[in-house]
Amino acid sequence: MTPIRIGLLRLADSAPLVVAQEWGMFEQLGLEVQLSVEPSWANVADKLAYGLLDAAVLLPPLALALSFGLRGKPTPLLVPMGLSLGGNAVVLARDTAPGVTHPGGDALAAGQALVGWLRAQAEPPRLAVVHALSTHNLLLRHWLARAGGDPDRDLRTVVVPPEQVVEAMRSGRIAGFCAGAPWGDQAQRQGVGRVLLGTSSIWPAHPEKCLAVAASWASAHPQALHALLRGLLRAGVLCGDPQQAARVAALLASVLGLPEAATRQALPGGDGVERIRFGDAAWLARPEDATWFARAMQRWGWLGLQADLAATVGVTYRPGLLASALSDEGLQVASMEASRPF
Amino acid sequence: MNVLLADDEPERARDLARLLATDPAINVVRVRAGQLLADAVAAQAPEVVIVDMARPDRDALEAVRQVSSFHPRPIVLFVDEDDPAFMEAAIGAGVSSYNVAGAALSDVKPILRAAVALFRQHQQTRLDLRQSERRLRERIAIERAKAMLIRERRMTEPEAHRLLQRRAMASGQRIAEVADALLRAGDGAKA
Repeated sequence: MTPIRIGLLRLADSAPLVVAQEWGMFEQLGLEVQLSVEPSWANVADKLAYGLLDAAVLLPPLALALSFGLRGKPTPLLVPMGLSLGGNAVVLARDTAPGVTHPGGDALAAGQALVGWLRAQAEPPRLAVVHALSTHNLLLRHWLARAGGDPDRDLRTVVVPPEQVVEAMRSGRIAGFCAGAPWGDQAQRQGVGRVLLGTSSIWPAHPEKCLAVAASWASAHPQALHALLRGLLRAGVLCGDPQQAARVAALLASVLGLPEAATRQALPGGDGVERIRFGDAAWLARPEDATWFARAMQRWGWLGLQADLAATVGVTYRPGLLASALSDEGLQVASMEASRPF
Repeated sequence: MNVLLADDEPERARDLARLLATDPAINVVRVRAGQLLADAVAAQAPEVVIVDMARPDRDALEAVRQVSSFHPRPIVLFVDEDDPAFMEAAIGAGVSSYNVAGAALSDVKPILRAAVALFRQHQQTRLDLRQSERRLRERIAIERAKAMLIRERRMTEPEAHRLLQRRAMASGQRIAEVADALLRAGDGAKA
């Protein structure tokens, strides 16, 4: 059996893949998996598009962009499950905008204060996100717009790889960033910046990473897909357990080279401002969440208004594929009202 | 035509810059060490950008097709939808390419072709080098194993060689693997 090639980035929320591989869950299920740690989202997207990867940990907006054909010919993908919720931090550089705080968890007030500060600067300050088509970028823009700002004018959005944001902030190239764990906590630990708030303050329990599978691979290997989902369910249970967090952090440090202490802070039970949630509700790939991301992309002019959202979301987001894997694992997802950004 | 080159491998970058510069119509500029890719694009206004796929900062060029005050000439990912084999070859070689929106395929593709060919060449050289190094290591292991047999079991060189060969055939392994196993079993052990 040829190994399943799965792409991922060096981020804490790649944990379910790494755990399933390194702690034998894939092996138990008879799966041979080859993890491909990529340096960029573009690499993951290109390799999925041209069949060099069968699946990947992916950002939902990027998965949708591939399905809609925003990066060339549409790449048919399936998203059968989510992998994580939340976990991203909005961070401001040390000594920057000291009056901008997040008292009492009022995200709107914090956003208004930030917009006020942005507009008071001589030039639009640079805030970094990890990719244009990311949850980070869309949530940041939603938040600033709700607070009365104009995300295209009040700031200059730049894209910096997650592992370079701390250095970019230290060297003064950016005034702030929105990036995934462990980089927010790492910036704070190193005294380079402070975490203003987590993206969960903007959209509680928002979907963060999903599993995206090449549709062609999925239709050729339905049993392998089923086993893959089961393996990730097992890993999700473990990653979601605060008692396992120290072990998981050590594993991520060893396999992905992430800073262990900062990673530990962002895992369940950690003391970071923002924590990643794995398992349970994170597993649901909700079409209505995908529609929110697609509409947001339309709002900013990245996706044409004539695009058929229902059709593309419907063919891409396939939570039904998870049902039999859940029952085989004896798991249930407690039904939860879909949350929305504030 | 301005071509911006983002490649951290100094020899390869130098070779590609030289290759492209043979075309008088092309002006090659290289991204400086530590310079943000997006800043280099803004400063140089290239028609084409060649980026080493091993670089994490290629995501900086994924900006969607938007024209705003900050992106007067948006750079977009190069995609030849009619030539997936070529796209696959480029990815296999580790080259990604971007061009200013609206640039003609016929202007951009030859540059990318040259980059893919050159990256492939370097990839092959690296593979050849690794293979040579491996062969050398194996030769050394075989010679050491034979020396051990000669010393420990008072064999002649041809006898030692035949032992390794026989064992390789019997176990379906290569002679080098048999030699490694013998050396691992240690001096004095009657393996």
